[in-house]
Amino acid sequence: MEGLGFAGAFAGAFDDIVDSGLGWLGDNAGALFDFVRAVLEGFYGAVFWVLSIPPFYAIAVAFALIGWRVVGLRFGVLAGAALVGCSLMGLWPETMSTLALVISSTIIALIVAIPAGVLTGFAPKVDRSLEPVLDLVQTLPPYIYLLPGIALLGYGPATALAATVVVAVPPAFRLTALGIRLTPNEFLELGQSTGMTNWQMFAKIRLPFAVPSIMAGINQSLMMAFGMVVIAGIVGSGGLGETIYKAVRTLDIAKSIDGAIAIVILTIVLDRLTQGAARLGSQTGHGGGK
Amino acid sequence: MTTVSSSEVLIDCQSVWKVFGDNAPAAIKAISERGLTKTAVLQEFNCVVGVSEASLQVRRGEIFCIMGLSGSGKSTLIRLLNRLIMPSLGKVIVKGRDIATLNAAELRQMRARHIGMVFQSVALLPHRTVLENAAFGLEVQGIPAAERNRTAERALAKVGLSDWLKRYPGELSGGMQQRVGLARAIASDPEIILMDEPFSALDPLIRRQLQDEFRQLTKDLGKSAVFITHDLDEAIRIGDRIAIMKDGLIIQVGTAEEIILRPADPYVAQFVAGISRLHLVKAHSVMIPVAEFQRTSPNIDILSLLRTNPEADIDELITLTMMSDRDAVAVVDDDAIVGIVTTRGLLRSVSDGHTAELAPA
Repeated sequence: MEGLGFAGAFAGAFDDIVDSGLGWLGDNAGALFDFVRAVLEGFYGAVFWVLSIPPFYAIAVAFALIGWRVVGLRFGVLAGAALVGCSLMGLWPETMSTLALVISSTIIALIVAIPAGVLTGFAPKVDRSLEPVLDLVQTLPPYIYLLPGIALLGYGPATALAATVVVAVPPAFRLTALGIRLTPNEFLELGQSTGMTNWQMFAKIRLPFAVPSIMAGINQSLMMAFGMVVIAGIVGSGGLGETIYKAVRTLDIAKSIDGAIAIVILTIVLDRLTQGAARLGSQTGHGGGK
Repeated sequence: MTTVSSSEVLIDCQSVWKVFGDNAPAAIKAISERGLTKTAVLQEFNCVVGVSEASLQVRRGEIFCIMGLSGSGKSTLIRLLNRLIMPSLGKVIVKGRDIATLNAAELRQMRARHIGMVFQSVALLPHRTVLENAAFGLEVQGIPAAERNRTAERALAKVGLSDWLKRYPGELSGGMQQRVGLARAIASDPEIILMDEPFSALDPLIRRQLQDEFRQLTKDLGKSAVFITHDLDEAIRIGDRIAIMKDGLIIQVGTAEEIILRPADPYVAQFVAGISRLHLVKAHSVMIPVAEFQRTSPNIDILSLLRTNPEADIDELITLTMMSDRDAVAVVDDDAIVGIVTTRGLLRSVSDGHTAELAPA
């Protein structure tokens, strides 16, 4: 009994510390978080603005053309048609808003993850100490990131972006570090024996060999971002996530399925496009795919 | 047979050791203070000795082969020569400079300008064309594209790949890829080329062809080479001198003829047993002094014998003996008869190590 009482008291004390810690951050670092919020929303706003200028058919055609060049003709036609479908379901603004969220959060995540991954690839010790942190980030339920986000950044796209960035960083980070670390030994010896500087070794040997791994990391980060952006509908992210969240609350089954279909279309199109780009990137010069 | 004093030494390895393992510093201390052996080092310090007490000299213009089976330390030894691996003990002196004392920039310079390297795995960059690969070393040195491409084209022409400049490594056969590797090494015009088992992965016909081409090219360009191989035939075909390694030790250094005629230990003898002597053993090593011949065969006038030179091989000597009704051939150097090769001597030189083959069936 007494043990339970102690455990209860302990848990209560821990919760108090977390609450007061968040409160303290909100009171004392308010300016900082206001700034972060402004930057995140500004970036997202800019991407969204660019995507909402052209009419839906122009964007669908653009995706069709890129899909044709990067993956194949059949995929290009299907991708264009599927995007027109999103518009026909009356979800075009939401689809573009979600696309803007995913693109802006993935870009921010990659700006952090790729340089950090490169550095970590050179320092196995750093990698060993970061490993548990990455495991933690990847195994915590994604919702967890939303609540402190709301406390510090408020309800809206900024919180959705911040939480999405957090979950999108680990895959690109890990695969970049792996790619840098796994440079084939014979090429390292080649670089050394030709008298390369460290920078040349990085730019001409390590980075080119890491490109396929980095591309796989970008693709994985993008997929994580899609997962998170839907969940972030709860915190007022806008876009398809919010559409689905509202439809679920009002039991509007048809609307929720429309939203889900639009998400699936967007996810598959971007997944195939980045995979295709990765393939092209690692195939260049292999004698035309011989 | 060869005089060290007259030729210039390009690489001088002086009692070089390489010890791998966590306790390496302690092991090295024990080696230099107590003279521990390889086995003792492994037992006492749990350290693997890659190369122990290796001393060798590579002379200007010579192809020096290091022959040994896998695990003999030959790959470690060649990497000590351009400091891809730092020696634990001893000195490696390249062109008069102890390479352990070079700073980073000097070491880069030495590797870029003076020591080329060719790998068993070739290590061609898959995204670059044959020309770009051959120009790689020059690119690293910061030579402008037009100039380095011209130089690389010339290097590729020397290995017979002028028609393949714009192709990618994936489109080339193994033998052609290895030629690109060689072109890449010679494009930087180094004095020394390190060849780390370059032909081991090739099929036998292509391999022989490349061996001959490599030897010819190295001699034509006046380069020196250190050539690693696990194949004694290859070492004999290519090398001016051969070092035989076993368990990190150099057991014997000499010309092919010296190693075949006087193997340093049973291990070397075992290797040499299967090698045909017909083209390796020369008249000067099988001839007997004129006085001895005259003592045993007093009725033969040595002036009536067919004549040959000291470098004639067994094959030629057999042909000459067959053409003559005498049982002997005179060996002439500078117009003087320096020795006599008898039929008996010829037979003995061929039969050493071949007794089983020659025994009556």
